[in-house]
Amino acid sequence: MALTLTCPICGQRNGYEFRYGGEEKGPRPDEEGLSPEDWCDYVHLNKCVAGIQKEWWFHRDGCGAWFTTQRDTTVNLEVEQPEAQL
Amino acid sequence: MKRLTHLPTLRIDPSQEIPLKYNRRTYQGVHGDTVATALFANGVRILARSLKYHRPRGLYSLDGECSNTFMQVNAIPNVCTENTLLRRGMTVEAQNVKGTPETDRMGFMDKLDWAMPAGFYYRTLHKPARIWPLALKQVRKAAGLGVIAPDFEMKGKYDEIYPQADVCVIGGGPAGMSAARAAAAQGLRVILLESRPWLGGFFDYRPAEYHDGVPLYRRARELAQRLEETTNVRIFSHTAMVGAYNNNLITAFQQGGPGDHFDERYIEIRAVSVVVATGCIERPLLFENNERPGVMQIGCAHRLARTYGLLPGEQAVFSIGHDLGLEAAIDLFDLGLKVACVADIREDGQDPRLVDELAARKIPFWRGWVATRAHGKKTVTKVSLSTIPGTQQRDFGCDLLVASAGMTPVTGPLTLAQAQLQYDLHTGFFLPAQLPPKVHAAGRLLGLHDALAIEASGHLAGLEAAADCGVSVDADRQRARENLDSRPGPVRGCKLVLAPVKGRKSFICFDEDTTIKNIQQAIAMGFEATELIKRFTTAGTGPGQGGIPGHNLPLFVAQYLGEASVAAQPTVVRAPLVPTFLATYAGSHHDMCKRTPVHDSQKQAGGVMRRIGVWRRARYFSQDFSCREEIVNVRNNVGMLDASTLGKFRIWGPDALQALQRVYVSDMSKVSEGKVKYSAMCNDDGCIIDDGVVVKRGANDYYFTTSTARAGVTGEWFRYHTRYDGWNFSIVNLTDAFGVINLAGPNARQVLEKVADADVSNAAFPYIGYREFTIRDTIPVRAMRLGFVGELSYELHVPSSYMQALWDILAEAGRELNIRNFGVEAQNVLRMEKCHLIIGAESELRTTLHDVGLGFLWDRTKTAAKTVGAVALRQTAEQEGRLKLVGFKMEDPSRTPKDGSLIVDRAIRGYICIARHSFTLEEPVGLALVEAPLNQEGTRLEIFEDECGDRRLYAKVVPTPFYDPEGTRLRI
Ligand SMILES: [Zn+2]
Repeated sequence: MALTLTCPICGQRNGYEFRYGGEEKGPRPDEEGLSPEDWCDYVHLNKCVAGIQKEWWFHRDGCGAWFTTQRDTTVNLEVEQPEAQL
Repeated sequence: MKRLTHLPTLRIDPSQEIPLKYNRRTYQGVHGDTVATALFANGVRILARSLKYHRPRGLYSLDGECSNTFMQVNAIPNVCTENTLLRRGMTVEAQNVKGTPETDRMGFMDKLDWAMPAGFYYRTLHKPARIWPLALKQVRKAAGLGVIAPDFEMKGKYDEIYPQADVCVIGGGPAGMSAARAAAAQGLRVILLESRPWLGGFFDYRPAEYHDGVPLYRRARELAQRLEETTNVRIFSHTAMVGAYNNNLITAFQQGGPGDHFDERYIEIRAVSVVVATGCIERPLLFENNERPGVMQIGCAHRLARTYGLLPGEQAVFSIGHDLGLEAAIDLFDLGLKVACVADIREDGQDPRLVDELAARKIPFWRGWVATRAHGKKTVTKVSLSTIPGTQQRDFGCDLLVASAGMTPVTGPLTLAQAQLQYDLHTGFFLPAQLPPKVHAAGRLLGLHDALAIEASGHLAGLEAAADCGVSVDADRQRARENLDSRPGPVRGCKLVLAPVKGRKSFICFDEDTTIKNIQQAIAMGFEATELIKRFTTAGTGPGQGGIPGHNLPLFVAQYLGEASVAAQPTVVRAPLVPTFLATYAGSHHDMCKRTPVHDSQKQAGGVMRRIGVWRRARYFSQDFSCREEIVNVRNNVGMLDASTLGKFRIWGPDALQALQRVYVSDMSKVSEGKVKYSAMCNDDGCIIDDGVVVKRGANDYYFTTSTARAGVTGEWFRYHTRYDGWNFSIVNLTDAFGVINLAGPNARQVLEKVADADVSNAAFPYIGYREFTIRDTIPVRAMRLGFVGELSYELHVPSSYMQALWDILAEAGRELNIRNFGVEAQNVLRMEKCHLIIGAESELRTTLHDVGLGFLWDRTKTAAKTVGAVALRQTAEQEGRLKLVGFKMEDPSRTPKDGSLIVDRAIRGYICIARHSFTLEEPVGLALVEAPLNQEGTRLEIFEDECGDRRLYAKVVPTPFYDPEGTRLRI
């Protein structure tokens, strides 16, 4: 967690102030008619990209915002400014 | 030994003597000495014995490059005494010797090297397997470094700090100081790390001319003083940089001085930009017995005299490959050292002024000669020199051999920072071919030697770092670059690694006793990659962290294999770059915890406080940890409990209800004013993670509680599961803002009636009711009629600032009824009798809402809410093979099984979550998670207790709850 992350509210901060929230997978699917397999895929299957991925972070020791940012998983560095989420 | 006390370069105070106990004898050192230099001053030349061969070892370096000076200091083994400052009251002992280092009875091991070729352990000691125990025992006895006493306890004060900086400069020599100064002049916050106790680097001890008649040491002190006066530069001296991580996170360890509040301190720096100016160490010259005491590096010999006032010997031979060696020979000669001969590996390229100076002193100066063997059983008595091809040879008697192949850059920090290094044919250095963003290198590690060029290089790097911080320095940078270009560039380096010898006793790694012959053996066995040779021969894996073999190993391998040395790569280094105490990593170790507003009152009332999660809570109110009286009192009278640790939240806004619907399994639209609703939260797997109550305090305005453990993460949980929805609601954690007193027992109402400004009769305030009123006209109370402990009870939520007052009022009002406090353990038994769950005690990560019998809480019709866990709850509702929660009673009521005991038949079928003797039922009862069909009522459960041998306990599954199944006690 040596990397820094850029909170849309607080700016660039030490990575250990944040909690990882997983890969960006889109909104929760509709419950009606959802097969168990599709649900399991949504919750548990990850792409594990070797490269740049969009992902969620929570500013736990800060403002309490959830936001997405881009990280290069091969070097563990943030590569772009995050997108604010309200 | 007489000290040179008049030198202006000294870093010691000869007038302040410090006694030192070494191997049970007392010696005198002086203030500023390291442990090793103090011993050297007392004539101790053999400081240690080597790892495998028990060869004598002495002072060779001064910056911790090898384990030669490792000793046990104040019972701590493996302390590098060459850079550990001498302090009053130190007790020092030699390690890995039988007897003393002078007369080690294991010295015969040196003759057994033929029996221990490279990879000896791997190849010899694996079969037959039965020799292992014996071999292990003998090897352990004979080899290794220090030994730690089994009852050893680390003493001292350890601290940690986390400063931020615009620019972090690693290395406080001339380049580092110039870089720090340049960046600071731009108004930036600068941190400077220096591993020695003072700034100055390789200027610090040298009287040679800097410029215009000013000596180098004076220039260094000027630069240091100016930096110390610069308020935006924070200097950490005696601080070793040990790690570099992403986005310029730099870690370091600082040694505390006499005035510091710590013995050692962990420092973690976040910097925008980093300048690495770590300079050079010496590349050891390899020849036979190249580590015999009396052989030392140029810097070691020179600094012994100039920094510590100790002439390194009487009669010296120099075998060197760098101008610093010539300079040292001249200076040490002037200080009184006899110099028999200076042999320079280089045929040409020396500074002509230095050659003239040698001639002026009539010191024999031989170009193209090198030391091939140090003679002398324990210390050096004679040296053989030969020409580089080995065609001619001559011997000189001496007690000091200053030996060094040349300089080599300290590349560890650059490697940690992910810089790409490349072998440079001109300097013979591994130079940074590509630096990561916002990392700069400066000074001597780039091959520069000229003093002004080094400073110019530092200045430029400081400006580059300033530019990284967004300061506009283009013009300055241009001038700095021109200034650097006008100075002498990198000097040609000496490439020789091994003198013309076979190498049976030429040690490439001192720490691991690895010889050139071992490396050749490894190559003959097919190892060609340096990294593999390193591991097979263990060269460079010792505590010196490659300080001796780091660059010699790849260079030797490349030369030996006849490859273009361009391909040579230094072996990888990893953090920490220098050995560090685990105690320092552990830090100050504060026991940080929260206390409730009535902590002190409970303690005064006899509360036995225990750490529970982030809190300290009153677990018992007497020394009877069965809590009989506390429990009986709640069942029959009235008690009060501090429940302030409950998670407490307000959620409000137009979409608050939607958010509640998302995370709670019940239909939260049914939460109505004046009533408490109990519900639970699951994770996406349908596993229960929390339960609590929700009340509605107004339109779109709710107050709810969570378990103590979930108080810290519930806000995050709500926001995570609504992050795509853009809903308009606010959630605030009121856990610390509100305190809670649980007033419980059949007489609870009699107490509350006396103080509440409202009708609290059963009709006006029934079970599951929620009311807001004041107590004694003042204290605003949010009151819930709940029954966690199974009796009439009121949970009174008040602002934290009122908690003490409420506590005192209730205690006073209940006095005539003999109200008593009860603690967490009594509550635990009371609620267990009633089979009210504690999430985490009767559930685990794989326990679903259904498994604990709370499936009825889930409203399966509210699919539009996309409730967290609903999909999984649907799938697991009828799933077989799950652990189900059951109540049980014991066949033998005299025995209560331990929590966590296993339920078994031929396999493990479940476990006991909790079991206690119930004073109410007068027999033990408990709850267990068991596989179906063992959850059927009447099933006999076989209980396997920890360490019970063949004995088993037996229990029977019974209906729950054990106590008051109709729930009448809650409704009185
Ligand atoms: Zn933030």
